[in-house]
Amino acid sequence: MMRRRSRLALRLAPAKLGALTILTILAVVTIYPLAWLLLNSLKSSDALFERSWALPTTWLWHNYPEAWRYGLGRFMANSVLITGVSVVAIVLLGALAAFVLVTRRFRGRGLVTAIVLGGLIVPPEVSLFPLFKIMVLLGIYNTYLAMIAPDIAYGLPFTVLLLRAYMTQIPPEMAEAATMDGAGLLRCFWHVYLPLARPALAAAAMVQAMRVWNEFVFALTFVSNDALHPLTVGLTTFGDSLNTNWPVLLAGLVISIVPILVVFLLMQRQFMRGLTAGALK
Amino acid sequence: MRRRAIIARLAPYLALVPVLLFLAVFLYIPVVLDFAYSAHAWNSLSPTWRFVGFGNFRELLHDPLFWQSLRGNVLYAVVSLIVQVALALVLAAVLESGVVGIRLSAFFRVSYFIPSIMPITVIGLLWQILYQPDVGLIDQALHAVGLAALAHAWLGEEATALPAIVAVSQWQWFGYITVLFIVAIRAIPRELYEAAAIDGARAWRSFWHVTVPGVTETTVLMALITIFGAVKVFDIVWVMTGGGPNNASQVLGSYMYRSAFRDDRVGYAAAIAVVMFMICSVVGAAQLYWSRRRAP
Repeated sequence: MMRRRSRLALRLAPAKLGALTILTILAVVTIYPLAWLLLNSLKSSDALFERSWALPTTWLWHNYPEAWRYGLGRFMANSVLITGVSVVAIVLLGALAAFVLVTRRFRGRGLVTAIVLGGLIVPPEVSLFPLFKIMVLLGIYNTYLAMIAPDIAYGLPFTVLLLRAYMTQIPPEMAEAATMDGAGLLRCFWHVYLPLARPALAAAAMVQAMRVWNEFVFALTFVSNDALHPLTVGLTTFGDSLNTNWPVLLAGLVISIVPILVVFLLMQRQFMRGLTAGALK
Repeated sequence: MRRRAIIARLAPYLALVPVLLFLAVFLYIPVVLDFAYSAHAWNSLSPTWRFVGFGNFRELLHDPLFWQSLRGNVLYAVVSLIVQVALALVLAAVLESGVVGIRLSAFFRVSYFIPSIMPITVIGLLWQILYQPDVGLIDQALHAVGLAALAHAWLGEEATALPAIVAVSQWQWFGYITVLFIVAIRAIPRELYEAAAIDGARAWRSFWHVTVPGVTETTVLMALITIFGAVKVFDIVWVMTGGGPNNASQVLGSYMYRSAFRDDRVGYAAAIAVVMFMICSVVGAAQLYWSRRRAP
């Protein structure tokens, strides 16, 4: 009995230590490359390779304005525009559809739900060439719309389902009361449901903003004019034109992740709520 | 009066038109076009369609590059299942077990999660530099610990290119799945753990007998999401190697993209897309079935 207890105590401490070690190593593995990115963006090209591990001996802050001058400002503005328009459209259209699906009984409701649900399992990757053809046909190839329109479309299924799940918890009397007052569908949506669904709207907007900000394939395929490219694609051409001036490229990478990181750290709660409600990568 | 009644009846449909239009034009019609293209031989410059039936698919069966690409996806899926599902579950359980304090556990969780919010180009360019032969961080680290023999031109050699990409993907996503598992573990009633503790169950036994059964449905869902992601994977491969060197890191997505936009073999590319779509829809349908089960 005694022996067993002491063995248990002995085994517990190493287990705890082992767990802590592994957790720490994993944290270093995930964070170190990012810290490396930050530190080496402040070095000269030579120092980057000769003293890759070390802190910069001279901190070359001018790598940042230099990266910015290579056109990052333009790419950033494009990213903001594309993300802003797409997210507003996704959330508004998605919320309207979710509202109708939750509050109205009409023929074809099941079919519409199935169409939206099915959209979750159509990956854009399989449709890139047909989409390219459609963009040309619609006359929006090589415009902002060629990125915004598919960004909206592929964000809708997730958003509609997320908001629908939330809105079913809103007491239906709310809608009935508003209808009694003679409010039309749109007014009931705008004045009753939209304000009540605000937490879910924030969660959906966060998830979609992150997705659209990081979107790469549509911009790569449907837009060849570099002046319209968002950061994700702009950085690849930026990398090509800098060729070997890697610290400046790294500075560009840092600039491009700062907005996401700040928004993520500030809005973590909403973001996590949105993710775990939908759980789709 | 009658007019208002008609408007009221039509209103739900009108409100749904934008969403349905977007889904039709950008999700569903492209898939239909994929099927149509795949039965024809044509290219974008001389758009004379020639019906070939299953010809493109027959050619796929005898195309070693197609099978090689598919093997790439399989490797991607298998490694991801081990790292992102099995290991992430263990990791989530450890983080939630109270072995480390709450604040430290939150710190680890956020650290692991951060790579998953990074844009693919940042990930790709960063790792291209870290993977540089000799001067890159990985090779320098190997030199520093006396394992210089293991140094490689990771992305430039046929044997290592795809494994190197797959590794980056694990780095990027394991924290994301860990967080989703943490949410699932928190939904397990505390009493089950307390009961196990009274029975004297050690940590690993309460993991097997309480945690694992408690998150079964999440585990299945994560496995399906991971396989789905492995079938459609494209951007990370395209950014890091473009499928090279000598097609060594090709997956279905990159091979399809190359066939459509570089080789101008639209029908053939569509056949690859159809294969991807078929696998995705089976996995995706299972995914929908399970997520409905989980949250009725």
